[in-house]
Amino acid sequence: MFREENIEPGDLIQGTLEMLVLKALARGPLHGYAVAEWIHQTSQQLLKVEEGALYPALHRLELRGLLDAKWGASENNRRAKFYQLTAEGKKKLNAESQRWARLSAAVAFVMQAS
Amino acid sequence: MIPFLHEFAGRVRSLFLKRRSDREIAEELEFHQSLMREKLIGQGVPQSAAEREVRRTFGNPNRWQERLRELWQFRALENFRRDVSFSIRLLKKSPGFTAIALLTLALGVGANTAVFSLVNGLLLRPLPVPHSEELVVLGMDHGGPRISNSFPAPFFRALESKHDLFSGVFACSSRDGFLVREKSGAENVPGILVSGDYFSTLQIPAELGRYLTPQDDRPGGNPGGLAVVISDSYWNNRFNRAPDVIGQKLQIANTPFTVVGVMPKRFIGADPTQRPEIFVPLSTEPIIDAPENMIAAGYHGWWLATMARLQPGATLDSVNAALKTMSLPILHETVPDANWIANQEKQHFHFVAEPGSRGFTFIRFVFQKPLMALFGMCGGILLLACMNLASLLMARSAARERELATRLAMGATRKRLIQQLLIESLLVASLGTLIGLLLAPIVSQSLAAALTSGNGRNIFIDTSIDLRVLAFAAVSACIAAFLIGLVPALQATSRNLSDRIKDGQHATQLHERRRVFPRVLLASQVGLALLLVVSAGLLATSLFRLYLSDAGFDPKGVVNIGLEAGKQPLDGDPLMRVYQQFAESISHQPGVRNVSLASIVPLTHYIWDDSFRRPGAESRGLNMNAVGPDYFQTMRIALFEGREFQWSDTRTAGLKIILNRSAAKLFFPNQSALGQTLLSDDKKNTYEVVGVVADAKYEDLRTAAPVAGYIPITQFNQKKPSLSVVVRLDGPAIPLASAARSLAAQLAPEIPAPVMTSMDRVVDDSISSERVMAILSLFFAGCALLVTGIGLYGTLAYSTARRTSEIGIRMALGAQRARVVALIFRENATVALAGCAVGLFAAIFSSRVLASFLYETSPRDPVVLLGSVAALAAIASAASLLPAIRAARIEPISAIRCE
Repeated sequence: MFREENIEPGDLIQGTLEMLVLKALARGPLHGYAVAEWIHQTSQQLLKVEEGALYPALHRLELRGLLDAKWGASENNRRAKFYQLTAEGKKKLNAESQRWARLSAAVAFVMQAS
Repeated sequence: MIPFLHEFAGRVRSLFLKRRSDREIAEELEFHQSLMREKLIGQGVPQSAAEREVRRTFGNPNRWQERLRELWQFRALENFRRDVSFSIRLLKKSPGFTAIALLTLALGVGANTAVFSLVNGLLLRPLPVPHSEELVVLGMDHGGPRISNSFPAPFFRALESKHDLFSGVFACSSRDGFLVREKSGAENVPGILVSGDYFSTLQIPAELGRYLTPQDDRPGGNPGGLAVVISDSYWNNRFNRAPDVIGQKLQIANTPFTVVGVMPKRFIGADPTQRPEIFVPLSTEPIIDAPENMIAAGYHGWWLATMARLQPGATLDSVNAALKTMSLPILHETVPDANWIANQEKQHFHFVAEPGSRGFTFIRFVFQKPLMALFGMCGGILLLACMNLASLLMARSAARERELATRLAMGATRKRLIQQLLIESLLVASLGTLIGLLLAPIVSQSLAAALTSGNGRNIFIDTSIDLRVLAFAAVSACIAAFLIGLVPALQATSRNLSDRIKDGQHATQLHERRRVFPRVLLASQVGLALLLVVSAGLLATSLFRLYLSDAGFDPKGVVNIGLEAGKQPLDGDPLMRVYQQFAESISHQPGVRNVSLASIVPLTHYIWDDSFRRPGAESRGLNMNAVGPDYFQTMRIALFEGREFQWSDTRTAGLKIILNRSAAKLFFPNQSALGQTLLSDDKKNTYEVVGVVADAKYEDLRTAAPVAGYIPITQFNQKKPSLSVVVRLDGPAIPLASAARSLAAQLAPEIPAPVMTSMDRVVDDSISSERVMAILSLFFAGCALLVTGIGLYGTLAYSTARRTSEIGIRMALGAQRARVVALIFRENATVALAGCAVGLFAAIFSSRVLASFLYETSPRDPVVLLGSVAALAAIASAASLLPAIRAARIEPISAIRCE
């Protein structure tokens, strides 16, 4: 789904990319490149989103009405497609973060058991 | 739910904005790539290496496009689109198969749709009036096999007054022509007599003025005089849509009527096959029908079609129960003859109501059967076309086995393959249907014209294509597609994958078992074709025998000139003198051999019967005609004894009668009839037999010559009789027509322009529906033979091609070419034989259905049955010989080498 540096590929749970994309857009509209960059930076360069997965995910979320897309000017004044969370998207992000928190805590409990 | 809807809307949008979304995807990726390139260059990577890195990350741009676009598409729709374009490519690859498929289907669907639109127009379409489902047709059950729908006026008037049972009851009676006097002369306009509640029950308001009400339907009309309502087309043609038409006078049957309203175009009345132009009150019937008077005939005159509208909420059952209880009281109230009532009571006379949403027309009784027979034949042709295409497709898909196997191996699911194969047949079916639909209106109109031409009345069958016809065509296309495609698709994809890739060219006989089904299909095709050929053969034979049958007179070169005398002032001897003068003047025209007069032209479906008896014996019914001097010579009916009538046979000269031979034998067996006397049954008149003539057909060509009697036209006691002048001509008839018109205008200006018809035309018309049926069935049979031939040939050609290497081996092992021919030939011969056997059995089994259409032809006529089998055998042999000969030409070496 996407390449993770220093992490064995295929370990991440399905649907995680979509959650990360939603999270990236929580602070405001971004274009696709910025979404990838933000995830890369924020994960301390651990996660690198592959373009081949990013764009289908963005379009899928747009199609489902979780994202809204608008064409606008980028920082260097070029035409770019900006994605933005809709109300549905925000709700979905909340639900996903809670689910993720529970899941990672549970995994942590198991892994820390002696 | 919301995301789903959003998704759906998004996909629908992108369906229409395909171009734009493609461009946007490209632009978005381009933007990403440029940022990535800039970043790499910013990190110090050289331009060319950065470019390579970008290309490495993104790969083929087209694949990107594809992946993203797929998201926005309806998967099924996209698959469908692909299947369609793939199927089109495949169909284009084999134009021969495609052309045959389209042609046979267009024929099948076109013929079916054409006949269905006739059935629809005549039997199915509801009347264009509000709540037509509330309408009922009233009838009388006399205990006979069929309900009678012709009411006498007193019964109808009694029912009309029962306001509590129906919300409205009306009666009507249409006429081919109301005599309307114009400045330019008299004109016949199709019209109808309607009772007071006709319009209010049909619930269509007038588009101008008002419609007729019960106040108009009284002797003498409303206080303002006689009222009339006209149709939109009459308003258009006669009055040029003048708004002041209301209040104008029309001279109908020499009586002034005032126009009170114009009905809108959509109003056609209660009979879907009539388009009356003039509506007059029922009570004016004595004026319209003069000199006859059906109202005065009371309960002896059966002439009114009666319909009613149910009260809201009433059911047919409750109404029928109520009608039953009121039937006898109505009889007692209206019929003065106690014997008659007692007789009816014995037969459990009662009124009945039947569903009437489609209006009422007598034509239905005439055409229902031939139409249904035609429909059956068309259905047979369509089924045959489907079966033929199915077997061709099956043979073809056998040839396509490797392609299908490869596709399966590449990961296509069986469902998808079947879907694609079905879409292929759906494509063929819908294209064929489209062509058929385009042809259907032309076919149905000419069919309607051909079917109705012989009935002498203005019959209008609305064959226009409506939703019902379209739905029918669509359903038949879908069924056809399924029949054509499903079985071959299932078969083609059913076998084990590896098996099929293994055997390329098949030297094996592995799938002998699989070929059972195609053979059954082919055999039933042959059987169905035989059934169609047999029925066509029977109908054609019957028509041929009808044509050859002796009418008893010679119709060649005879024309009739019909004169309409009912509405002019002369009667009795003065009128007869006009007829005599007219006939004599006609006889001086060039080319005229003989001239005579007749009250009834034979074969025109008119019957006049009367009873006579020999003094002291019981009375016998005779079909009667009143004829002028030289009638038998003109018609070439042999005169065995005695003489023809003469102008001197006047009323005072003693009543005369001429009998045909059967009648003479009936009354006077073993003795000469000449000079004998007969008594008329009712009036106790005495007739002297002055001649005996040969038997001749009377009512129509199908009915055998009846016992008949002729009386002199000069002793014909009908009031103001309308007679036909019969003329035997040597030359062309056209100059005579204009001569007759000017003669009539000169001798009797009050008589409308005479109508001339040739006797050949009368004969043709009297068997028009037989002719249409026979021609169509021959056409269908020809198609069936052709289609079957193609099917047999196609299937055998494919299967032989697949056996090339097997045959090669056989020949290499020493098989003679003749044996190879026999081997291939046998394959179809068994199929054809089995099919013929089944078809013969079916033909004999279903012979009862056809029997009623046949004239002097047994439905098991051995010549027809054998001939049909021979025709099919010939077609099957021709279709099998070609592949067999081709197989025999196979060179063993090359055949084996290609394995």
